[in-house]
Amino acid sequence: MLIFSLRRLNLFLFTIILLTLLSFSLSFLFPGNQLVNISGQVNATDEQLAIIGESYNQGGSLISQYFAYLSHILSGDMGLSMSSQTPIFNEILIHLPATIELTLVALIIAMAFGIPLGFIAAIKHRSKVDDTVLTISMLGYSIPVFWLGLLVILIFSIQLGWFPSSGQISLLFEIEHVTGLLLIDIMLSDDPFKWQAFQNALAHLVLPAVVVALAPATIFIRLARTAMMQVLESHYIKAASAKGLSFRQIIYRHAIRNAMVNVIRDVGLQFANLVTLAMVTEVIFSWPGIGRWLIESIYQRDFTAIQGGLLVLSSYIFIVHILTDFIYAGLNPIARGKKYGS
Amino acid sequence: MNLLDVRNLSIELLTNNKPILAVDKVSLTIKEGEVRGLVGESGSGKSLLAQAIMGVLDEKWHVDADRFHWRGNDLMRLSAEERKSIISNDVAMIFQEPMACLDPTATIGEQLEEAVDQQQFEGFFWKKRQQRKLEAINLLHKVGIKNHIQCLKSYPHQLTEALCQRVMIAMALAKKPLLLIADEPTAAMESTNQGQIFRLLASLNQLKNMSILLISHDLENVTHWTNTITVMYSGQFVEAGTTDQIFKQPFHPYTRALIDSSPTANIHIPTKSRLMTLPGSIPVLQHLPIGCRLGPRCPRAQRECVNSPKAKNHQGHQVSCHFSLKGSY
Ligand SMILES: Nc1ncnc2c1ncn2[C@@H]1O[C@H](COP(=O)(O)OP(=O)(O)OP(=O)(O)O)[C@@H](O)[C@H]1O
Ligand code: SF4
Ligand SMILES: [Mg+2]
Repeated sequence: MLIFSLRRLNLFLFTIILLTLLSFSLSFLFPGNQLVNISGQVNATDEQLAIIGESYNQGGSLISQYFAYLSHILSGDMGLSMSSQTPIFNEILIHLPATIELTLVALIIAMAFGIPLGFIAAIKHRSKVDDTVLTISMLGYSIPVFWLGLLVILIFSIQLGWFPSSGQISLLFEIEHVTGLLLIDIMLSDDPFKWQAFQNALAHLVLPAVVVALAPATIFIRLARTAMMQVLESHYIKAASAKGLSFRQIIYRHAIRNAMVNVIRDVGLQFANLVTLAMVTEVIFSWPGIGRWLIESIYQRDFTAIQGGLLVLSSYIFIVHILTDFIYAGLNPIARGKKYGS
Repeated sequence: MNLLDVRNLSIELLTNNKPILAVDKVSLTIKEGEVRGLVGESGSGKSLLAQAIMGVLDEKWHVDADRFHWRGNDLMRLSAEERKSIISNDVAMIFQEPMACLDPTATIGEQLEEAVDQQQFEGFFWKKRQQRKLEAINLLHKVGIKNHIQCLKSYPHQLTEALCQRVMIAMALAKKPLLLIADEPTAAMESTNQGQIFRLLASLNQLKNMSILLISHDLENVTHWTNTITVMYSGQFVEAGTTDQIFKQPFHPYTRALIDSSPTANIHIPTKSRLMTLPGSIPVLQHLPIGCRLGPRCPRAQRECVNSPKAKNHQGHQVSCHFSLKGSY
């Protein structure tokens, strides 16, 4: 397990270096002055720019410039937003938690529905149930997310009025910013209307989370179905059946755990896909997340914000990826052992 | 009394085209307290037959038999589930690939305890748990694993293939079965350890009157331990009889060739002379010859051999061949 953790840590550092390198090089690739791109100081005078240039090591080699950039980032300075002149770091602190909330809830929904459905389809292989689940998964996968988003708004918030169509919480509630994750902040607050606020926040979360979750859920259905079918054909299932275990016991004691191992391994990969869907969904539902903020920055050609946003978003995806890797290792003794290579 | 009496059991592999008859009307009887060898080249359907008896083949396969009696009860009249529950209560099987037959995500301890019969214990559940643990350790000692603490908490991939095989044997013995089907139980072991396992099986056979179906591709390897032998070739029944009958006077050209190709059975032949073997190799499932499947390789084949021969009984010595060697002794 130690070797496994060290390997992951290694991979993490390497990827972070690559991501910052990419983000750093973006400041050269974007049009305009590289120093302005990287610092976001659009209104600065020449003297001010010279001082900023000093802090980014402008005179030095590219490598020393990169390290200067790195130290800026590590100290929490990602420059100013070109359009609003507020520090990017603060913007990210405000917007990232909303995205974390949305994507994690969507991931949980996708897994909670997709994986059991896939297992059931595999267990009832070649039956009506299997066909139905496969058809649903095919349909769900081929619906474009923006269309689905508009459709559910039309039906569930405009026609039926069950859920609100935009935002994260009604403006009536004032929740203190502690962790940034709204649902947790509400639980932590001592507001007398805490439960109303919680319900309101949940109601806001339902539609966007479901929209984001749909396509990944269909992928989980197929992953889980394939994994379970493979497991059910394996020799150890046959041997367990020869031991006299009933089909139910075999499924619960042996098949689910082994199939889960194979599904969890791919969750990390699907998460990048899910975050992309979340970005589009945030725009549709006016969700105050980093995806919407990033897309707005792209429209406004706010290059500093784009660099910072991409860096943070990709780091987030990667961290989740590594976390799922750890869960995978926790479930799978072979991955923990020394025979594992990657 | 016959413990197991299977007549004309066929196993078909269901494919998109025509089903393939992987095992073609094989009969097998096992008496109480008997050790029967089931011998045939690799690919002759021994494992399939064993799995069909256990009822663990998946829906890719279709099993059919004229007769399937277990301790005098006709199991053909029961549903597949009822049949399986009766069989798995009394019969245990040691599978061929031990490592693949252990759940990779569960420890040996969990899997072994799962196999232990619950009903023999008494008391509250924590007492039962302790008894189960003791029983698991006991079983490991029985199959010659001394370091039980290490073994119980290991995962299958941490053990060698030979150790996994011993664990599989321990699991099979956990139920105290009336019949043990041992599919190449010593394949992954060195010869000294092989002897140890065979001696264990033989003592269980004698002390507990446990019947054994010993499956092997190597005739010579099992003859020392068996009372009777059934020979299969490419999914067809070849010959069955007592070990003596099979070994001293094989009636079937295939058995003859098997014996002639084994060095110890031919002490009388001069050293360094070529061993007699059949030309060619066993056909694959996709290209099975019609009639007697040995036909293309058989030294005695004639035109009638395109029709499958029927098994003939000569005082308990059954042979399935149009031109058996019976007359030549
Ligand atoms: N799951 C499977 N799918 C397709 N064909 C199979 C499968 N399992 C076995 N077979 C085929 O069935 C035939 C009989 O296989 P079986 O495993 O019973 O042979 P065996 O006599 O046990 O051989 P061995 O000594 O190698 O174990 C072989 O031709 C094999 O290729
Ligand atoms: S039936 Fe014919 S082909 Fe088959 S073993 Fe006998 S002689 Fe050979
Ligand atoms: Mg086999």
